[in-house]
Amino acid sequence: MSKQEKHRILMVSDFFYPNFGGVENHIYYLSQCLINLGHKVVVMTHAYQNRSGVRYMTGGLKVYYVPWKPFLMQNTLPTFYGTLPIVRTILIREKISLVHGHQAFSTLCHEALMHARTMGYKVVFTDHSLYGFGDVGSIHMNKVLQFTLADVTQAICVSHTSKENTVLRSGLPPEKVFVIPNAVDTAMFKPAPGRLSNREIVIIVISRLVYRKGADLLVEVIPEVCRLHPNVRFIIGGDGPKRVRLEEMREKTLSSRSSRYVGSLTEAFCIAILEAASCGLLTVSTRVGGVPEVLPDDMVVLAEPDPNDMVQAITRAIHILPRIDPQEMHTRMKTLYNWHDVARRTEIVYDRALRCSSQNLLERLSRYLPCGAWAGKLFCLVMIIDFLFWRLLQLWQPDRNIEVVPDIHLTNHMQDKTARDSNMYEHLR
Amino acid sequence: MEASIGRRSSPTQPKWRKVAYGGMQPGFQDNHTDESFLEDMIMNASVVKRDLLKVMLDSVSISQYVCIVALVVLVWTYTLRSSFNENSLMLLDIILLGAGFFVFQLTAEMLSFDLLLSYVLKIFFFITGVYFLSPIYHTLTRSISSDSIWALTASLLVLHLFLHNYSGSTVKAPGALENPTFTSNISLNASIVASLLIASRLPSRLHVFAIVLFSLQVCLFAPLVSYCIKKCSFRLHLCFSFGLMAATLFFVYRLHGLLFVLLSGILVFVNLLGPYWLIRIQEYKFEINGPWDEAKLCFNLTE
Repeated sequence: MSKQEKHRILMVSDFFYPNFGGVENHIYYLSQCLINLGHKVVVMTHAYQNRSGVRYMTGGLKVYYVPWKPFLMQNTLPTFYGTLPIVRTILIREKISLVHGHQAFSTLCHEALMHARTMGYKVVFTDHSLYGFGDVGSIHMNKVLQFTLADVTQAICVSHTSKENTVLRSGLPPEKVFVIPNAVDTAMFKPAPGRLSNREIVIIVISRLVYRKGADLLVEVIPEVCRLHPNVRFIIGGDGPKRVRLEEMREKTLSSRSSRYVGSLTEAFCIAILEAASCGLLTVSTRVGGVPEVLPDDMVVLAEPDPNDMVQAITRAIHILPRIDPQEMHTRMKTLYNWHDVARRTEIVYDRALRCSSQNLLERLSRYLPCGAWAGKLFCLVMIIDFLFWRLLQLWQPDRNIEVVPDIHLTNHMQDKTARDSNMYEHLR
Repeated sequence: MEASIGRRSSPTQPKWRKVAYGGMQPGFQDNHTDESFLEDMIMNASVVKRDLLKVMLDSVSISQYVCIVALVVLVWTYTLRSSFNENSLMLLDIILLGAGFFVFQLTAEMLSFDLLLSYVLKIFFFITGVYFLSPIYHTLTRSISSDSIWALTASLLVLHLFLHNYSGSTVKAPGALENPTFTSNISLNASIVASLLIASRLPSRLHVFAIVLFSLQVCLFAPLVSYCIKKCSFRLHLCFSFGLMAATLFFVYRLHGLLFVLLSGILVFVNLLGPYWLIRIQEYKFEINGPWDEAKLCFNLTE
């Protein structure tokens, strides 16, 4: 395993730091662990306000903030071929061998993967969300995903439910999809040193207060729980459109050892639960999406997304609470989830992707035709135009004119991993 | 191809579990597809199996409404050609009002005198309002050319037919199940605007008043009347619809041969070809539900 060749990977997504979220964390931590394993990683994303150009992050992680402004929900304007020149330049400059795109909702990711395939690079795609099949938005999203995944080399999903969902949406053969879950940085999330008083139980809720994250469930559950268990205190963190309803409810109900509540309506992989478990908190969650796969049954209490069931689950959790040892939970989390393990498994996927055979344009076009009666031909047309545009660029700006960036080898980057783990966030700005 | 290793190939190899924790499962690759893959998927859970005869009978209400609209356009055409004068139009209005009221009485409970009085009062206010507004409508589109008017009217009528709510009634009937929808309101507005446009092309104010009254009566109350008939007795509804279709075809034939062919083509399509096609493509319906769906909140949001 140690004699593997080292890859040069380009991570592409609209979602990266300084924006905060699950996908951003995933890309960052995965890149850092891959750099630790000796690979070279470059990240490409769009510009955030003034933050445009090339930046370097911890460990020599190079980030290209391409000067495109986001136009809707952190996505760049989809221009199909507008990103081809910049993607080609980056791929040649950094001598990339593999492109890894993240998140189906990111337009930059889809475009970059399309261009990378046109230019003959191997492509890996990771999907982080679950989508339905019935409404108009999902139907369009799934068609776009079908286009991108028709010709992807390998795909990764973050949970088994997510794998089923992706396979149904895109029509990929299941053997092409790998399940590699996210992980949590356990050094950042440690249990509180002292125990809180035994009398009072604190329930923390941290989430965006929107419909999709179950804020309405919260409004129904909290008064009931406070009525049944007078020694329970709720702390709610977060903001969003449903905050008004929560404030109203609070006015109406007027009235350390802690537990954590997550009541989302759909979740591909819930990192919040992992962070809570790493801090030694007992979690109560709704049984939706990929949540049942995430933790063993003794570390999380699951409930249906129904207020009565949630209240019963919280009651069960309060009874289990005295038997929980936060430190032991934290230690157990270290064995269950580990970013280095995720990076090693991703490396296996990269090795497989690079061993796949290259295909010429005609073979690739035949993969797009089964996508649909009209869609297949449309997709083929899009790829043909992309191919022609690429050839034109090669004539206009030949490959040899693009300057290759020399590699900077940072010494002592294998040193003291634990210290670096805890300092990861400090090197952001 | 990866063989799904559901059975143990050796006694010491543990079974594959659908969990995300604990790293790579020993003996299995990350892309291992177990036999339990997609076993929680539910297909076509809420799809209704349709019967051809029932769909055809239901489509009769669509063709009935198309015929009503065709009759209205006929009246407009004859009025614009001055084949009808204003007195016959007023007579038509009164007859329609009486007939509609009679049908409404058939299906509703016995009206008390107060309710009857309130209806009469409302109708009186309505008619008075239209009468006093008719001078405005008379000169409304004087500066617009006739072509624009015909084109606009035609498109509005098409929009009206497209968005119409064929299963219920836009004017909320007493005892109706659901509130009017957004698209049914748009269709009602389209028909009202179309009738006002046509009315503005007429020679005198009394013409305008009669035509506007006629058009508004039909637009507002025809769905209500047909809903009442359908509720009263289905056979009555069928007889009424077929009678109406026959009458419409007869009158359109008298007017113009090509339009007759067009109308009969539409009726054949709606009643016969449409249901058959719908049933044929139903077999392609593929509704997918599973653990990835957003959970439905089973309580009502009280705002």
